[in-house]
Amino acid sequence: MKQEIEIKVESHGVVTLFDIQGDVTVFSEPFLNEAYKNANDEGATKLLLKFEKSAYINSGGIAVLIQLLAKTKQNSQQIGITGLSEHFKKIFHMVGITKFAEIHNTVEEALKNLS
Amino acid sequence: MGEESEVVRILDGQTIEVSLPNKLGYERIAMESSASFARIIGFVSDRVEDLKTAVAEACINAIEHGNKARPDARVIVTMNYQDSILSVSVKDEGEGIEEFPEEPDILQKIENLQTPRGLGIFLIKQLVDQVEFDKMTSEGHMVRMLIKMRG
Repeated sequence: MKQEIEIKVESHGVVTLFDIQGDVTVFSEPFLNEAYKNANDEGATKLLLKFEKSAYINSGGIAVLIQLLAKTKQNSQQIGITGLSEHFKKIFHMVGITKFAEIHNTVEEALKNLS
Repeated sequence: MGEESEVVRILDGQTIEVSLPNKLGYERIAMESSASFARIIGFVSDRVEDLKTAVAEACINAIEHGNKARPDARVIVTMNYQDSILSVSVKDEGEGIEEFPEEPDILQKIENLQTPRGLGIFLIKQLVDQVEFDKMTSEGHMVRMLIKMRG
């Protein structure tokens, strides 16, 4: 069963964009951790997580994202989220992720707000 | 994959049963089956999404905690539709929930004062109209969820 995700990392000025292609589950942890470690080592201060609109995100994946948010908080980094379906926007609000990461409707809107 | 033909069974016009291998990832079969069934009977799209997440989370709990990741165990999901309400039961071979996770608190999770896991039951409670945990049957533990066509 396919458990890998691909994370394309792009620099947009001061913002480091993680273009996350695939489902976000407990199996995503090493991929997200590696992308974050590299970005952090390179001095990233602002991160944008872009999800696929059709991505399956479950509680294990949300837990991985919460751990990532904890690291960004420790390192005083700003983080934004985009690409979510309306359902997962609702889920992220329910869980409280939006207290730490603002959700944006588009990449352009997110980059403008983070820059 | 010979057993695949027995994974989804249509028991009657209103009841579908899905038998899953006890492996993370296979919850998606139950999730997509429940979504297809809900669409056929006319659920609006946002309720279908709520249903998908609730079914997936109940199956994940059954695989990880109920069946304790035992490879020989199964998770049985039965969906029955009646009077604009879809009833979904998720059965595992375990002995019920030993300890319910505490209510998730994102601030505590971020500060590492609470485990980042333990969100499944919270999400189920938020997304369905009624849920009963810890129902024991002769075959094991069952979670039963009711979800209305329109929330």
